[in-house]
Amino acid sequence: MARDYDHLFKLLIIGDSGVGKSSLLLRFADNTFSGSYITTIGVDFKIKTVSLDGQKVKLQIWDTAGQERFRTITSTYYRGTHGVIVVYDVTNGESFANVKRWLHEIEQNCDVVNRVLVGNKNDTPDRKVVLTEDAQRFADTMNIQLFETSAKDNVNVEEMFMAITRLVLRSKQEMKERQNITQNETVNLRKSNKQGKKKCC
Amino acid sequence: MPIFALQRSYKYMMYATKQPSLRINQADLKCKNGCGYYGNADWDGYCSKCYRNHMDQERQRKARQSHSDQTKVSGFSKFEEKKRQQTDKKNKYLKSLPVFRKTSSAKDSGRPERHLDLRQANPDADKLTAEFISLYGVWGEQVRRDFFKCVQSFTTKIYSELENKPIEDIAEMAQKYYNLYSNRVNNTETYQEVTTDVRDELLDFFEKYVMVSLYSWLFCPPSTNDEEKDLIIQERIRKLSWVNAHHLDCCISETSIEVRDLVYTAITHLLGMDSMKAPQDKLSCVVSCCQSVVKVLQHCQGGPVSADEFLPALIFIVLKANPARLKSNILYVTRFCNDSRLMQGEAGYYFTNLCCAVSFIENLTAESLNMPQQEFEAYMNGEITSVSAWESALVACEGMHQLCEHLSLLKDLSIRTNTVQDETKKLTDDILKFKEEMNEKVNSVLERTPLIIKPRKTPELSEKVDDTQNSQNFYLQNLQIATSNIDDAKTKLQLDITPCVSKTSPTDDHSLSKINYDIDFSDLSGESSLAELTPEKRKSPSFTPDPFSPVGSSCPITQAPLIPTKPDDFVLPFVETQETLLEKEDEGPNLPSPIKPMTAQYSGFSKQGWQIPSIPCITGELGANASQANSQTSQDKEN
Repeated sequence: MARDYDHLFKLLIIGDSGVGKSSLLLRFADNTFSGSYITTIGVDFKIKTVSLDGQKVKLQIWDTAGQERFRTITSTYYRGTHGVIVVYDVTNGESFANVKRWLHEIEQNCDVVNRVLVGNKNDTPDRKVVLTEDAQRFADTMNIQLFETSAKDNVNVEEMFMAITRLVLRSKQEMKERQNITQNETVNLRKSNKQGKKKCC
Repeated sequence: MPIFALQRSYKYMMYATKQPSLRINQADLKCKNGCGYYGNADWDGYCSKCYRNHMDQERQRKARQSHSDQTKVSGFSKFEEKKRQQTDKKNKYLKSLPVFRKTSSAKDSGRPERHLDLRQANPDADKLTAEFISLYGVWGEQVRRDFFKCVQSFTTKIYSELENKPIEDIAEMAQKYYNLYSNRVNNTETYQEVTTDVRDELLDFFEKYVMVSLYSWLFCPPSTNDEEKDLIIQERIRKLSWVNAHHLDCCISETSIEVRDLVYTAITHLLGMDSMKAPQDKLSCVVSCCQSVVKVLQHCQGGPVSADEFLPALIFIVLKANPARLKSNILYVTRFCNDSRLMQGEAGYYFTNLCCAVSFIENLTAESLNMPQQEFEAYMNGEITSVSAWESALVACEGMHQLCEHLSLLKDLSIRTNTVQDETKKLTDDILKFKEEMNEKVNSVLERTPLIIKPRKTPELSEKVDDTQNSQNFYLQNLQIATSNIDDAKTKLQLDITPCVSKTSPTDDHSLSKINYDIDFSDLSGESSLAELTPEKRKSPSFTPDPFSPVGSSCPITQAPLIPTKPDDFVLPFVETQETLLEKEDEGPNLPSPIKPMTAQYSGFSKQGWQIPSIPCITGELGANASQANSQTSQDKEN
């Protein structure tokens, strides 16, 4: 299909309530922080097209409700998701403690999915309680990339989104290669491949 | 029922008589129905197939019996029973009909009826056909023919499989068909001339067409328990009618008219979902509902809306709307809407949220509302009832609704009145405080910088010229207005200092007037000022009314805030005669000069005055008005 993009990815932002998921989204998609900006769609659903390695990638990012009581029901959001951004608040230790549960949630709902860990609100050093070393150690054990961002000061936000996009793109290409191999081995898979391409990443 | 019992015992006897024989006849092993297959004791001696038929009949008989037994079945379950029977009958009828195949000629008797069936159920299909022709007719006969060919094959296929396969399989088939048609549109020559956008539209239209055609079979199919789920969720929501926005932690103000309108719009959209037939139309209802919810939130919190706030609000809307056949609608959309649309895009996002809201409602507990278990149960049992404007609007009668609405409005109003009163009090205090502060400041400045009268020419004077330049111009500009307003400047601006200065040294007028303005802003004589008013100055565009301008100061009103409670307090330290400004004004310009030219030291006052202007534009305005009023009085005086 001739379109204005080469890839379409769905990203999910999860994390406790109030860690700044929406602010990150707003900063990335509109480059605003908060306040007077009134969108036609609302903040919770955003689309942005980025260029990566010469390819146009259209990202649609879904915001989710982070409250404890909605945790069990948010599984519906994961359907067809290519990448998940797990956000915690560096000034809130509890939100970091909950990251483990969020990661567990991802595992339950998706087979293979790309993830990044984001410590948001990294703009007031004296209020920071989650140390970078601790977070980094945790991220290493979970084999997940860590970013410390500030949606307020626009620090590291773009980089973080680009990183997850790159991860998703790479895994898509890997899958395509794997598919090509199987295609070469067997004969009559052309048609199903075409369908498969559309459905999964 | 004695007869029954007898029959049974008879049956038992029959078996009993047969049992003792050790040899079991071949015939006894066979199905009781005599279909030729072997039977089984577990199946009452029937073969598997006959047993199933038998059980079906039995069940139906029982159902009919219980139906007639129960004189009063609650409305819906009765209806449901009936419907199920009907569908059973229909199924049988359909089963008795040959399976729909194009090639079979023997089945011709069934075919026209089938077609009739499809047609009758779908007057919309004709409408859609017309729509198709009007929209896509331009792309040629070929496209049209291919489109309808695909539609036909799709509907026929689905229809033929309807009886044999569970709904999930049929949904999968439908998805496959969507993909097939998409490939066809994008890859065949027939559609070569069609633009990309129109291709997408065609795909959507294809989905719409087939789904509208098959709606009555695919929506809430009898083979599933969708309808029961509908009833369960409906009952559940009814029981949860006491849940309000507060319980869900969402900030929806009940009294604002705009918000209420938006909430009702959202509810209407959600309810409208049931009346739509195509999955995409149902989705667009969900989208407009959610957009209204977003607007409600924007209205209530005045900023961007995040999912943290959106989901609770949507749950609230679903609870208040209690849409008909909610589950059926959701399942229908999930099954038959093109997957790609459900997993991405705005519609997909909002639909996912709706699913979440419904699943939250299904699993709602005391914990999820952050309330104690006991309270939750009391609410659920109806022991406690909460009345809010929303509940009464949707549950109770109109009068009750208005009452509640007015009560909350009153509450709102009283809060606002209180805040207004508080603010007023604060403002009054502030005014008093400000007045005192002002007095203190003025007094302290006067004390700090007493006017020391020195010989006219002081060496420091030249240093101050720059400083005073501004104020001088300023006063002159103001003065100009005042003088142009009035005919006789002398009587208007009764100023005590300058006259003497100008009289004493007409040659040194320029520098002296500067000094004078510095000393006392209220001092300007008509003569000296007129002398200063060159044409350029008159035209000066930068006129700003200033409370300390001579115009303003010549008026008692503008002076008021500056004058301490007793007029005598505001005594110029150099005036020995204890005259206030006001008194001086009355005396006119002919007064003998009470002061001599001032020192540079005293410029402090003018500096101070320069900083104060924040005091009030109002006084400036008043000053302008007052100057007129003043001229009036002075004219009166003349007369």
